[in-house]
Amino acid sequence: MDLEFFSAAFLSALFAIVLIDLVLAGDNALIIGLVARNLPKDRQRKVIFWGTFGAIATRAVMAIVVVWILNLPGFMLAGGIALVWIARKLLTPEPDAAAAHAAKAPAVSFAAALRTIVVADAVMGVDNVLAIGGAASGSMLLIVLGLAISVPIIVWGSHLVIKLVDRFPSVILLGGAVLAWTGYSMVVREPLLAGWFAGHAATKLVVAVLIFSISLAPWYTARMSEAIKPLAVLLPALLVWMLAFEVAADAWAMQIDYLLATTTGEYLIDGLRWLGWVPLAAAYLWLREQIAARPRATRPHAPVHR
Amino acid sequence: MLLIHRSRRAANAVRTVSPGGELFVASVVLCMIMAAFGDAVDPMLLGETEFALFDLGGETGVLAMRHWSLLELLLAGGFVAVGICALRIAVSFLAKPLRPAPGRAIEKVPIQL
Repeated sequence: MDLEFFSAAFLSALFAIVLIDLVLAGDNALIIGLVARNLPKDRQRKVIFWGTFGAIATRAVMAIVVVWILNLPGFMLAGGIALVWIARKLLTPEPDAAAAHAAKAPAVSFAAALRTIVVADAVMGVDNVLAIGGAASGSMLLIVLGLAISVPIIVWGSHLVIKLVDRFPSVILLGGAVLAWTGYSMVVREPLLAGWFAGHAATKLVVAVLIFSISLAPWYTARMSEAIKPLAVLLPALLVWMLAFEVAADAWAMQIDYLLATTTGEYLIDGLRWLGWVPLAAAYLWLREQIAARPRATRPHAPVHR
Repeated sequence: MLLIHRSRRAANAVRTVSPGGELFVASVVLCMIMAAFGDAVDPMLLGETEFALFDLGGETGVLAMRHWSLLELLLAGGFVAVGICALRIAVSFLAKPLRPAPGRAIEKVPIQL
């Protein structure tokens, strides 16, 4: 897709890339510091420079590869679904997140330090480059500009990013929403589904609600009481159920609209479509209650430590 | 290993977010879903009345929202959030005189028949 330079769409995509880069940025500075901490002073400086350079180069190469891969049929859909999971993971609270940082062992040589930094950046940046690849709509210029703006901020101004998200945690929520929006636009741009969406335009809304309800679930379930929390699973499941009938109707040339149904079989399928989910929802609620009740039932038999 | 996880508040953003920030992001999400709705409506299938109904106000109509970029959606989300805040303040001013005084309060007028 060609975006006009400095148009609203171009600036929006650039904003999305920078925001995604900031909220999904790996802790490169800390990793470089941890890896290089046992090296001699003169080597430390070299490791910091080449580690930063290697991380930026790896990120740029990965972004270019992702843009190329997303042009292949099916990968846009897979990428969109992956972004839903990434947005959900971003919003899920992590109480012991700071403790996970102390995992990097110090390196003993320059090559080992460089390898650790580049591999760590590549592993941490997979979700990041996938998201920016989706937001860039295939524009290399946008990816390069996005990386040129956000990488220096992350590498040399990480404390500013931390201050920003600490003062305004809503930036994280906005990042999650932008990831969900990017995921939705990737799913509807999938070439394999373009024909189907053209014939079923209304399902785009269902897909949008489904993607937002799954991606933002950690946010809105935090405000829900325990009694209504199952709705966070039941409502998206109901949308998937309805979508599955739409897809099946096309795949097997079935008539699922009761106004156009003519045979008993078609009426039965329509009945299954509208009422078939009720026993499944009841079974889910029953199972959930059983699982929730299990620890309570075993508590009296548990050994008491004094 | 995310950079933002160095901040405890950011790592628990869903719990530590301010009501204002939450309202803004919720409004942006609402605008995004509205834009998806505009994308889902096929104008070719609409009659004249339905078209006019969906495109009320021209550029601000649901049908026009399908072409909106992220920055426009953020701006619209901001306007919606400010509108909801203003509405809330106006409703609280209106509702205040309607709220009954506590039963044993000094300003409560006893009515005896």
